Amino acid sequence: MKHRFDAGDRVVVLELNKAGHIRTPYYVRNHFGTILQRCGSYLNPERLAVGDVAGPVVPLYRVAFQFGELWKDYSGNPDDVLCIEIYEHWLRAANDPTAAQTN
Amino acid sequence: MRGYHDIGGNEAGPIPIVELPWLHWEKQVEAIRNLLGDGTRRIMSLDELRRGFESFGEEKYKQWSFYRRRIEAMVDVLIEKGVFTREEFEKEAELLRGRWTPPVDCE
Repeated sequence: MKHRFDAGDRVVVLELNKAGHIRTPYYVRNHFGTILQRCGSYLNPERLAVGDVAGPVVPLYRVAFQFGELWKDYSGNPDDVLCIEIYEHWLRAANDPTAAQTN
Repeated sequence: MRGYHDIGGNEAGPIPIVELPWLHWEKQVEAIRNLLGDGTRRIMSLDELRRGFESFGEEKYKQWSFYRRRIEAMVDVLIEKGVFTREEFEKEAELLRGRWTPPVDCE
């Protein structure tokens, strides 16, 4: 599957309001991050969780978030980042005007 | 939407750094999980198991240990998939319980 993002791209994590098994933790949703690298494409765990192994595969990215972006009161090193893998359908380009749903 | 298990990022105080024993039955739970999910059987994926304990209710999730959650969710998913019924499972468990002698140091 074709990747929509590449290393260095600024992205926003979406709040898709999905029930069931999802791999995007609450604390990164609606936050801005930077793509660190592409991690390949995999069967969507949200579909695997209900026994659907038919695919398609979904691109996965390693995304970095500055601690201060996730926790506003963070007072440690401003360069500290949290790195986490997120599937493409949970991401939107940060410069996309329709992505303006950050808190 | 936030699942009851999705507590990452919350304030939780200092992390207790203690080595916990890995109990025999816990290893058995993991062994069964591996067999059910391996490439030849594909009876239950790890994501299905996770969906199981992330949706069987907050009360169970909070009161049970890591491996207890896993074994209970495994049973739920296997029943849901028609591998066996709840009645068959309970009947078999009762049978085995009758034959089982707990080891002295069993917790």
